[in-house]
Amino acid sequence: MEKISFLRKHRGILILVAILVVVAIWRPLAAIYGVQRGSLYALIGLPLALTLGVVGIMNLAHGDLLSLGTYIVYLFAVNTGMDPLVSIIPVFFLLFILGVVIYKLTVTRVLKAGHLNQLLLTFGISMIVLELMKVIWTTRPRSVYVDYSSSSTTIAGVRFGTYELLYVVLAFAVLIALQLFLKKTRLGQATFAVGQNPRGAKIVGINTDFVYLFVFGLSVAILGIAAGVMVPRFAIFPSVGAAFTMKSFSLVAMAGLGNLTGILISGIVLGVGEAIVQSIPGYAGWSDIVFFGVLIAVIMIRSLRRQSL
Amino acid sequence: MKKVFLVLLMAAVTSLIVFAATPIKIGAVLPLGDITGDQAAKAMRLAVSEINAEGGLLGRPLELIVIDDEMTPEKGAAAISRLATVDRVDFFVGGMSTAVHFAQIPVMKSFQKVTIWIGAAGSQCEVAVGPDADWYFHLHPWDYQQGASYGQGWTDLAEAYPDIEINKVFLAYEEGAFGTGSHEAYLVLQALAAEGQGAWAEVMSDYMGVSFKSATLGGGDYRAMLQQAKKYDPDLFVWAGYDADALPMLQQAKEVGFSPKFFVGAPPGWPAHFGDSPLAEGVTLYGMWAPTINRISPVAEHFWNAYIEMFKEEPATYFAPLGYTNIYFLAEGIKAAGTIEKSALIKALEQVEYASPIGDVLKIAPSNVIKHQGFTAQKILQWQGGEQHVIWPLELKTAEPEYPFPSWDGR
Repeated sequence: MEKISFLRKHRGILILVAILVVVAIWRPLAAIYGVQRGSLYALIGLPLALTLGVVGIMNLAHGDLLSLGTYIVYLFAVNTGMDPLVSIIPVFFLLFILGVVIYKLTVTRVLKAGHLNQLLLTFGISMIVLELMKVIWTTRPRSVYVDYSSSSTTIAGVRFGTYELLYVVLAFAVLIALQLFLKKTRLGQATFAVGQNPRGAKIVGINTDFVYLFVFGLSVAILGIAAGVMVPRFAIFPSVGAAFTMKSFSLVAMAGLGNLTGILISGIVLGVGEAIVQSIPGYAGWSDIVFFGVLIAVIMIRSLRRQSL
Repeated sequence: MKKVFLVLLMAAVTSLIVFAATPIKIGAVLPLGDITGDQAAKAMRLAVSEINAEGGLLGRPLELIVIDDEMTPEKGAAAISRLATVDRVDFFVGGMSTAVHFAQIPVMKSFQKVTIWIGAAGSQCEVAVGPDADWYFHLHPWDYQQGASYGQGWTDLAEAYPDIEINKVFLAYEEGAFGTGSHEAYLVLQALAAEGQGAWAEVMSDYMGVSFKSATLGGGDYRAMLQQAKKYDPDLFVWAGYDADALPMLQQAKEVGFSPKFFVGAPPGWPAHFGDSPLAEGVTLYGMWAPTINRISPVAEHFWNAYIEMFKEEPATYFAPLGYTNIYFLAEGIKAAGTIEKSALIKALEQVEYASPIGDVLKIAPSNVIKHQGFTAQKILQWQGGEQHVIWPLELKTAEPEYPFPSWDGR
């Protein structure tokens, strides 16, 4: 019985592992590239899931705040010579403060407003952040080159890059840290409670305003981790993060609200799907169709399953 | 009677003075949020200020009115209308994007002012302009002219340097209109080359094109495409994408161990400080101009120094010297015509020969469709020691080609 409940509990992870094994045998590079890029999607998607799940706000400025994070990493690298991976620490705290300021100045005023007002607000923030970056740094891409960012290794005759394995490590690390925070700390338990039932949490004395403030700040801060690890591999320009807003939202939609582990699984599934399509000559242009096709399929299957219950 | 005569004389003198002080208005439309438009606009301002410092043209100062098209077709078309009806300009100049220009052409046709355009390489624009538009001058080479000039360049290089051998060409193209247009153009060139015709006949015995998603459009993972290129083992690897793809593409090429004999980038611009990266060494590129042309052209040297003095920044895209050329070409025409009257000016512009900071002499000749085409070729450049050098045309070369592309070891 215990075995059956274990299998049922970890069904998602087991299916993911099975998929990865099959793909690794069929197209080993697609499996590696997919896990790497999928982990980056998850790393960026996790904070969006947190904001959406706890504060209840779909932050359309998510990707633009990520772009801003890459510029801050760039400034540290250019002005102080700091390695982008080291600059994750100060950028994390700077973005946390920025998140708190944005929350206090704007988000707090639309918490009780309708979803349309919330979307309009975050869309406005997105536009302001984007245009500010264009004014300050122009659209001309910048970059920070570190020689380890193109390092590679060969295992069993397959040569692959090692830098992007950091995406995997950090995605798992952030997921574990968030799980520990939510389960083992008082503030985390309060956050969990607010996410489940904000009115009930308020009745039992939890300071929901502070929880919202902290979660929003933390979500923006986590983007600093993603920005730091992205900078050595991506060009830095105002819209570099924009595409990640939609991808992050897709992960949340696929995983379901409040399912942080599901974000990582969804990220990897979609990343591998994308990588398989890209590896087929002449079909690279189909990768977005596959990405959103898989997403729609998963949502529909889940919906049908719920209806049958 | 004397009084009447004096009054009339004074009125005539006053109107002459007023006319003399009335500026010749030039309306420019450029994407100011992009470095190409920003620097082209600055270079135009530099040219106007230099001409005005010399007393203007026909005793009148020049006035430049610049409108930002924000790289959107509808705003670009509206800008032309505004310049003609509100600002009442005498001429249209500027341009960068093909899509924007395509939307502007019908509006330009309705005003038929003398237009000197420096952007829009897509030849669908010249079809839209048509063969009868004598008021239209286009300075940037059209896409098919660029393709032919590259073929000529590679053929010349292979002839001049016996160790250079080019047969297999691989094009990595971004999925948008720019990249797919390039791929379609290469397919035509390959078909011609297979019949022993066209500029690529000697250097393209085989061709393969694979698309990728540009970082500009949310992509940035080129490894699957690079693996296919590595397997194909081309002599010439060309990528047609944007500046945001430049360095990540090289990083990932190093990661997968892909090192073709020529690694060619064809983006409209390059990222800031690209030349500082050790990965940039030996990267070949297509362009109309390089700062090193200063060393062989006094006009280019003057432009370079004057631009830096005025704007405290270096020109970083060929749209800067092209913007400067845009104004000076018009000015030379007005000087030669002695008037801004349309038909006289068109005739004068047809005869102008202007030694441009681009490095070439600008002369007007018919293209496949339009009557007035300026430049017809791009150059083949190469990053060497952090600088862009001209390696073709051979008569303008500022360095010997670095061949083959240096190994990734130690970079």
